[in-house]
Amino acid sequence: MKRFLYYPRLYTLIVSQYIKARMQYRADFFISSIGILLESGAGFFSLWVIFHSISKLVGWSYNELIFIYAFSLLAITPSQLFFDNIWHLSSHIRQGTFIKYYFRPLNMMFYYMSEVFDIKGFTKLALGIAAFIYASFKLGITWTFPKFILLLTLLFSSSLIMISLMIMASSTCFWTGEASSVLIFVFKFGEYSKYPITIFNSFFKLLFTYIIPIGFVAFYPSKFFLRPTETNILAYLSPVAGILLFVLAYLVWKKGVNSWTGTGS
Amino acid sequence: MNIVKIESLSKHFKILKRSEGFIGAFKDLFSRDYKIIKAVDNISFKVQEGEIIGFLGPNGAGKSTTIKMMSGVLEPTSGSIFINGYIPYKDRKKYVKNIGVVFGQRTQLWWEIPVIESFKILKEIYKIEPHIYNENMKLFNELFNLKALYPIPVRKLSLGQRMLCDIVASFLHNPKIIFFDEPTIGLDVSVKNKVQTLIKDLNKVKKTTIILTSHDTGSVEALCRRLILIDKGSIIYDGDILKFNRIFGAYRTLKVELEQFEGSSIEVLSKTIGEKFPCKLPIPVRKDDDGWISLTINQDEVKLQDVLNYIMKEYPIKDLKIEEIETEDVVRKIYEGELV
Repeated sequence: MKRFLYYPRLYTLIVSQYIKARMQYRADFFISSIGILLESGAGFFSLWVIFHSISKLVGWSYNELIFIYAFSLLAITPSQLFFDNIWHLSSHIRQGTFIKYYFRPLNMMFYYMSEVFDIKGFTKLALGIAAFIYASFKLGITWTFPKFILLLTLLFSSSLIMISLMIMASSTCFWTGEASSVLIFVFKFGEYSKYPITIFNSFFKLLFTYIIPIGFVAFYPSKFFLRPTETNILAYLSPVAGILLFVLAYLVWKKGVNSWTGTGS
Repeated sequence: MNIVKIESLSKHFKILKRSEGFIGAFKDLFSRDYKIIKAVDNISFKVQEGEIIGFLGPNGAGKSTTIKMMSGVLEPTSGSIFINGYIPYKDRKKYVKNIGVVFGQRTQLWWEIPVIESFKILKEIYKIEPHIYNENMKLFNELFNLKALYPIPVRKLSLGQRMLCDIVASFLHNPKIIFFDEPTIGLDVSVKNKVQTLIKDLNKVKKTTIILTSHDTGSVEALCRRLILIDKGSIIYDGDILKFNRIFGAYRTLKVELEQFEGSSIEVLSKTIGEKFPCKLPIPVRKDDDGWISLTINQDEVKLQDVLNYIMKEYPIKDLKIEEIETEDVVRKIYEGELV
């Protein structure tokens, strides 16, 4: 039992200290929170503008789109809260500071990711929850206990997909020394997860389903709640896709860690 | 007991050959033209428990690569490495439980977090028993008054303070062996001395095996009894520092800046000095890039003062300084046959 609790306890200890330290930069917290509100709010606003002139988008209603949008916000939040250090990997690699992660008797991915906890993610979380409640209320979705469990499972696997894609993208820098552009590329694709995959042409439909599976981040899982009768077989694969991708991402990361040679000091 | 056993250890890197210029850079994108760099080439040595060993060598000699293999970061190309019962790169997680590492100017404490909280996190990571933790913290306070630094976040410490905290932290979990890579780099003289005293004292009390690298002779002399000199990936001297000191301790580099001295007359100066002050090997006279002329003098053979007097008589001197022998010069001397 004690062994089992080792990592959770350590994580709580490190992150609570980190948050305490970050709280000293209150202005930074408020300004970036407002930034995130505006950025995500603008997404909702553009939906609102579009639906001002049309009533349906390829068969999807305004409230259904809000639902998918909110689902994707909730699914992306964990990657921001727990895995934000992924954005700094390139600079650690280039400056050679990544070497310190080899020297503690810890899982290296755990040690690396535990160092940063982006509290601003909470703003996204709050906005996501509010929009989610609003949309499901407007759509008249009734929440039963099994449905709620299903929701949590799907959100978990969606988060895993997003996290895995980001880890794979940034791990390329173990070989190339620079991954910012690949990472931004993947992150931008993540933005498309906010829309029904059916609005894209067949090329992107295939791309977003099988190659960069962001359709699994919000669209396919949302269908369980929006159009239960139309759910296709792919939706059931969401948790499998999540777990498989994470395993793959972890292997890529591990391979990178083992092959990185470090800069001379 | 030998805690470190290293036999014919090598590390070779495959490096892309770089072409020059813009077009060359473009060509490199598609080039498959590699060359092999032998960063560490067939080295062997053993280390006894409790020893302090200094790795000395010029920049790029292979010190860091050796330390990286010893600390489990790099996998050797060939050879065997056995430390504290483990093969470092194979059993990384188990192996690093009983080692400490301090890498130059890169702190391993948590940047945003106060020093004392970093120590508490380390206590959890290494599962340090409370009585051991308290004992060590008491010892650290006795050796070096740390308390004033406790509440300060690591990013606000000066380089020297951070170095001292990093060193102390590396001893916290009572490791069997600690690696210091360039612990005194970039520090001013007084902090350098503090760092050296701290390492020395902790080694005395804890009997921890310590392996440190340095590019300057001074800090190795201050700390170690045994010295391993490494150049171009090979060990060129491994032995007692006293013997080393007896030979190189007498060497001084005399640097002079002369007025109206043309580059052509450096040969003349070299020749006349050689005639005037005959030694086993002629005194090397060379002109540095910055225009200074440096002479490496063995004081056992020739009085530095005599050489200086002679130069002053012949040429008007603008400026002068006297320095300890540089590592590069030591390496050259060894190749020339001294210390055998």
